[in-house]
Order: sequence, then C-alpha cells, then structure tokens
Amino acid sequence: MPRPDAALAPTRIEFDAIGTRWSITTLGALPADASRAVDTRIEAFDLAWSRFRPDSLVSRIARKAGRYELPGEAGPLLDLYSVLAAATDGAVNPLVGRRLEHLGYGADYAFHATPDPAAVPRWGDAATWNGTHLVTLEPVLIDVGAAGKGYLVDLVAHVLADAGIDDFTIDAGGDIRQAGEVPARVALEHPLDPTLAIGVVELRDTALCASAVNRRAWGDDLHHVLDGRSGAPTREVLATWALAPAALEADGLASALFFTTHAELAERGVGIAFESLRLLRDGSVEATAAFDEVLFR
Amino acid sequence: MSLPRSRTALLAFTGLSALGVLTGCSAGAASTGGGSSADAGATKAPASSDSGSTSGSSAPADAGSGTYEDGAYTEQGTYSSPGGQEVISVTLTIASDTVKAVDVKTVKADPTATQYEAKFIGGISDAIVGTKIDDLNVTNVAGSSLTSQGFDDALSKIKSDATA
Repeated sequence: MPRPDAALAPTRIEFDAIGTRWSITTLGALPADASRAVDTRIEAFDLAWSRFRPDSLVSRIARKAGRYELPGEAGPLLDLYSVLAAATDGAVNPLVGRRLEHLGYGADYAFHATPDPAAVPRWGDAATWNGTHLVTLEPVLIDVGAAGKGYLVDLVAHVLADAGIDDFTIDAGGDIRQAGEVPARVALEHPLDPTLAIGVVELRDTALCASAVNRRAWGDDLHHVLDGRSGAPTREVLATWALAPAALEADGLASALFFTTHAELAERGVGIAFESLRLLRDGSVEATAAFDEVLFR
Repeated sequence: MSLPRSRTALLAFTGLSALGVLTGCSAGAASTGGGSSADAGATKAPASSDSGSTSGSSAPADAGSGTYEDGAYTEQGTYSSPGGQEVISVTLTIASDTVKAVDVKTVKADPTATQYEAKFIGGISDAIVGTKIDDLNVTNVAGSSLTSQGFDDALSKIKSDATA
C-alpha cells in the first residue's frame, strides 16, 4: 500500500483534558485543523458529561427532573451502560453520581462524606432513555466514569479518521487506542508502584483500558469504581485491564471487572473478543491468554 | 512517556494558567485540551467553606498588579479512599503570578491501605515480577488514571489564600 507519509517519524502531542493527561501520537505532526477538531470534540464531550461543570448537561439534569435531549454521542455510551448494568446485576450504574458527591467527590470540594449518603437509584427506574431523550423522575446525577473516558478516546479516533489520519495512538491517562502503523508498546503499570510495570502489551488496531486503585498517588481512581448495588467502593479487586476493539467497550469492561469475572461476563454474552487481566487484593492474578503471555513472571 | 505519571502530572502544574484551570474546575473536568481553554473560574475561586488553617508561611511581596500574592503557601487536601480519608500536604511557591515550586507530601496514609498493600506485595511477588518502566522500551503506560482530588482540594485553598 503506497504511503506518501510513511517516512515520517512518530510525533506526539500532549495536553490535559477531562482531568487526565492525554497524548496523541501520529506519523508526522498532527495538522493544526485536526488538532483543533480534537479540541472541539473533547470540549463538547466535557460540556455534556462533566459532573464537575455547573454549565454541563449532566449538571442541569442533576438540578431538576424532566425530559432532556441528549447529544448524538449518548447512544453507544448509554447502551453499553445498560448491557453492563445487566451483566453486573446493577453494580455498573451511571446514576452513582449523587452517591459519589455525598461521599465527597462533588464539584463543591467538600471531600467529606455526608452522614447519610444517597442510595443509588436504579438505571431504568429513575431514568429512562428512548434513544434521543432521557426522562428522569428525580434529579439524578449521571456519572459516566466507568466508560466515558474510553468512549471519548473512540470519538477522538473518529475525528482523526475523518481528517484522513490512519496511523495514531490516542492515550487518555492510560485508556489507549491504536490504529495503523505507529506501534504502541504499553507498560501495564504496577497498581502499587507507578515506577514498575508488570508486563508489556503491544497494541495493534485495538484498545486497552485500565482501572486501578493507586494508593501511593494522591489521586485515587477508586471513585469511579463504586458498586451501584451497595453504593460502597469495591475492595476485592486492585486493578483491571481489558483489551477490546474499541475503547468504549474496553473501558466499560475494565470497570465491570471490578465487580465480576471474565467468565461471568463472557457467559452473559458481554464483550465478544475481549481479553482481561485482574489483580486481586489477595495477590491472585486472573489473566486471559493475551495478557497471560506478556506478564513478567 | 517513561516518567512515572505522578511526576508527569506535577509537571503539568508549573504554569499559573494550569493552576487556574485546575482549581476552577476539578479533577473530572480540568482543562479541555490544547491549552486554549479560557476558564471562567480562573480568576476567582469561591472561598472554601472550610477555611482551615493556613499552615504555610504566606510572605507577600510587592506583587504589583498580579492576581496572586507572592509567597509560599501550604494547604492540606483530603480525598476519600475506600479505607477512609487520606491527607496530603501541598506547598506552592508563587512569584509574579507563576508557580515556582510544587511540593506534595503524604500526611496520613490509611493504615488499612498500608496493610492491604503489604499483603498484596507479598502475594504478588510470587506470581508477577515488577520491572522498572524506565528500563522498558514502551510508548505508553496503562494503569491507574491519576486524577487528583486531593491535590485540587489543596490547590483551591491555596488559590483562595493567595488572592485574599
């Protein structure tokens, strides 16, 4: 296949967005118009889904029950949530937002738990989604932390593809999607020591997402990993990784793996052609073949 | 990048524009890429309801028409972990509206977490060997996505202190 730009060197840009560090690696520099399109895409996503922005759509939804038109991108995201909610008996639930806020992760920087935090409403009861509109019976606070970041990686990948860019690696704080001929060799970060890797995965036209609890960091991702059934953070699983064709699915599966096993997900028909790795607190390791063969032992 | 990402994250805070963006929003929202975002919250942060004690020495110099008073500011930030509250101490040195130095220390490590950690490290050593990321030829790292509630918490207090 003739490639006029094949001789160009991999070039990386980095920036901060939606609270995490991003890098985009392309063959040759990312053209300015494509870069602007990426910014615009991310800003629009943030304006819709950030529960930390008072001007966001989810903040408006959180103030008042009603009928809201959601942006076109909502479909695949909410569909995946429905699938994962069913597969985890409600543990993955986009309505954990209020509960998170009450546990101290709200936009008001309270950082202390209220004495009686809100119960998590059931997706489908408190909110119904008909494909274009969300109808809420109470002021629900939506949190798409379980799959939103991966989904945004996919949306940015579409922006690049639309701009004619076929070779890229997009990395949003460890949620990574690779396409084309710029190889990505990804270290699997040790969940308890960010200077160590427990293995290296080579990505080729696929996505890898991770979910982990890193205690040595002053930031702790565990707020994304509330159990929608109990409203409590999970304790048994320390870190998860998932490989899937798209980052939306990989991110959602990595989140779901905090509550269920690969076998249970596969049994329920979730995540066709995905690979998973779980590190449990008791020290055990659950890896499917693609991960098993790249772990350092 | 082969840098441990906590360090990489800190490097991102070395401009005051980054400070404004981060405190104006929060971990889940921060800036919107490209460094071009003009954040409405960048000039005035709402005063923290928990004004707490500014344990740092604020040493204002003649800051001219700057937005922030020069000085070294220390504030504590907390975040909830599954084992309970954890506390970090952030010291920021500001001169001429620029962050000159950032220092982050862990004040209180949750004992349950430490216990889990020790247990896990003991368990995992038999199954998996950790290798220094710096020694590996990798292009990306996938692990905990280092959001920064505790850091942002301290930062918002410092911002309030520095504009008071």
